[in-house]
Amino acid sequence: MTDLSTHMEHGQANLLADLGQMPAQDVTQKGRRLGIGFWLAIAFMVVIVLVAVLAPWLPLKDPEKSYVIAGERPPYSPSWQFWFGTDQLSRDMFSRTIWGARISLTVGFSAIAFGMLVGGSCGMIACYFRGRFNAIISFVFVVLLSFPALVLAILITSLLDRSLFTISFTIGILSVAPVGMVSRATTISFADREFVLAARSLGARHPRIILRELLPNVVIPMSALALLGVAVAIVAEGGLAFLGLSVQQGITWGKLIQNGAGRSDLEDAPWIAFSPILVLFLTVLSLNFAGDRLRSHFDVKETAL
Amino acid sequence: MLLLVISMLTFGAMNVLGDPLFNILGVTASATDEDSLQKIEAAKEEYNLDDPLPVRYAIWLGGFVQGDFGVQFSEDGQPPVRNLIVERLPRTLSLVILAQLMALAISLPWALWSASRADSKADKVSTVGAFLTISIPNFALAVILSYILSIKLGWFPLVYEADAPFPSRLHAMILPAFTLALPAAAVYQRLLRTDLITTLQEDFILTARAKGVSRRSILFKHALRPSLFSFVTVFGITTGALIGGALVVESIFLIPGLGRAIVEAVLREDFPVVLAIVMIVAAIFVLLNLVIDLIYSLIDPRVRR
Repeated sequence: MTDLSTHMEHGQANLLADLGQMPAQDVTQKGRRLGIGFWLAIAFMVVIVLVAVLAPWLPLKDPEKSYVIAGERPPYSPSWQFWFGTDQLSRDMFSRTIWGARISLTVGFSAIAFGMLVGGSCGMIACYFRGRFNAIISFVFVVLLSFPALVLAILITSLLDRSLFTISFTIGILSVAPVGMVSRATTISFADREFVLAARSLGARHPRIILRELLPNVVIPMSALALLGVAVAIVAEGGLAFLGLSVQQGITWGKLIQNGAGRSDLEDAPWIAFSPILVLFLTVLSLNFAGDRLRSHFDVKETAL
Repeated sequence: MLLLVISMLTFGAMNVLGDPLFNILGVTASATDEDSLQKIEAAKEEYNLDDPLPVRYAIWLGGFVQGDFGVQFSEDGQPPVRNLIVERLPRTLSLVILAQLMALAISLPWALWSASRADSKADKVSTVGAFLTISIPNFALAVILSYILSIKLGWFPLVYEADAPFPSRLHAMILPAFTLALPAAAVYQRLLRTDLITTLQEDFILTARAKGVSRRSILFKHALRPSLFSFVTVFGITTGALIGGALVVESIFLIPGLGRAIVEAVLREDFPVVLAIVMIVAAIFVLLNLVIDLIYSLIDPRVRR
């Protein structure tokens, strides 16, 4: 166990790096307003989520049906009839992209929900109780972190199956350690505050202190992390898709892009790959941006205390 | 210690969840006819499959430490895994190293340039640019870059040929490496710029300026070194991420490296290969962390105690 402590230092170093990434300069200037960009990003997210949820009821073309135009060979380029063009089997890329959002977003959100639940609570509890429990959990985190993420994902998806549940679960497991690290660091900054001491001296039990005193303080900064995490999870699904290891059934953004990324398709019909890339990019961008703004926003309140 | 835990987990998971017999012989263990039963017995004998898990683990570990990674189950004649690793590892390593060199070459001047004119218009544009770059998933960037640079402009070949002479192999490696390097460079730039700006506000910079040291000399000789601290940490973390990213990028640009090897091995359930690759990547990762600790003491003499 001798090298445990050095690895713990690595954990701390990671956190320092996270802290270092926060744009300290921007904080002081922009103050407490989230700015119009933040709300634009949120609006885009809402639109994407709504469209994805409502896809079966929207007047879209059937994503699995071929709309062959007599006398012309698919793929068709973007036109009034096919906004994003069609793929090699003359299926409408616009509706496929929207239907792809359903699985991609499900993977993204459920994976991070899992990571937040498991990693977040482990991190909080570890930090609260300290001692041996803290050491064990930190070690588990370090082991998880030292697996290259993608290799672990490949391992799990290959050993189990490639259902929507397994993929989300896999990416969720990957997010446990990073989320746990941050939640531990956030809890550390609160665990020694006077209000915790006050609650304890008033006779509050551990679960009550954790749930009622610490959790509300930790949840808010963590929500910023959640947005960033969803973006990472969506990208991770895409990476798996390129390795042929994404969700087997249905359409995902990763699979759509991969489908259009072959050489001849890129040459003749770049829109097959580029329409899902565009939507994926905008989604990831708005998640990143909203998360980043939230993070610096809450840091202001931190330092103002 | 860490490597031991990782190896145990991987070994256990692969043995519990996979069925090595099936991969060796192409028959399931439940086959009943006389011929396959005999084969099964022979194979069990040969690979010690009848021994309990810890014994097999000990045998495998003993071999692994001595550089004997076992045999490939899925190939005819079962060549040693070692051959595959020796063939593939240099390609992945050179890809990652090339990418990191490029990322350094891009990010250092970029960060110095933007930190020296913090909050000017040009700096703001470059900050937005860095943010956009971070939000592009590596596989999407690979598709975009290969579309523009390979297909439209024809500067780079699309396919990596393993038998080609060195210069043309290097040429084919540039685009994949650049795909990995660009987002990494943007991460470095963001971090280093923030740290540099913080350092530039310190008193000793003011002293230097008062003594009449030139701007250039202040930036390079006085400000850069103390700003590198969290940069080095992130450099290490990013290298780990790049190894994962290399797996995806390899499969897009059809480079026969470790990434392709592990994907193929996973799909064929060739578990000695998967095990060897996971272990090697994890070992590189742990070694890297060690090297980073050494670098700390190089840039900050206070760490040496």
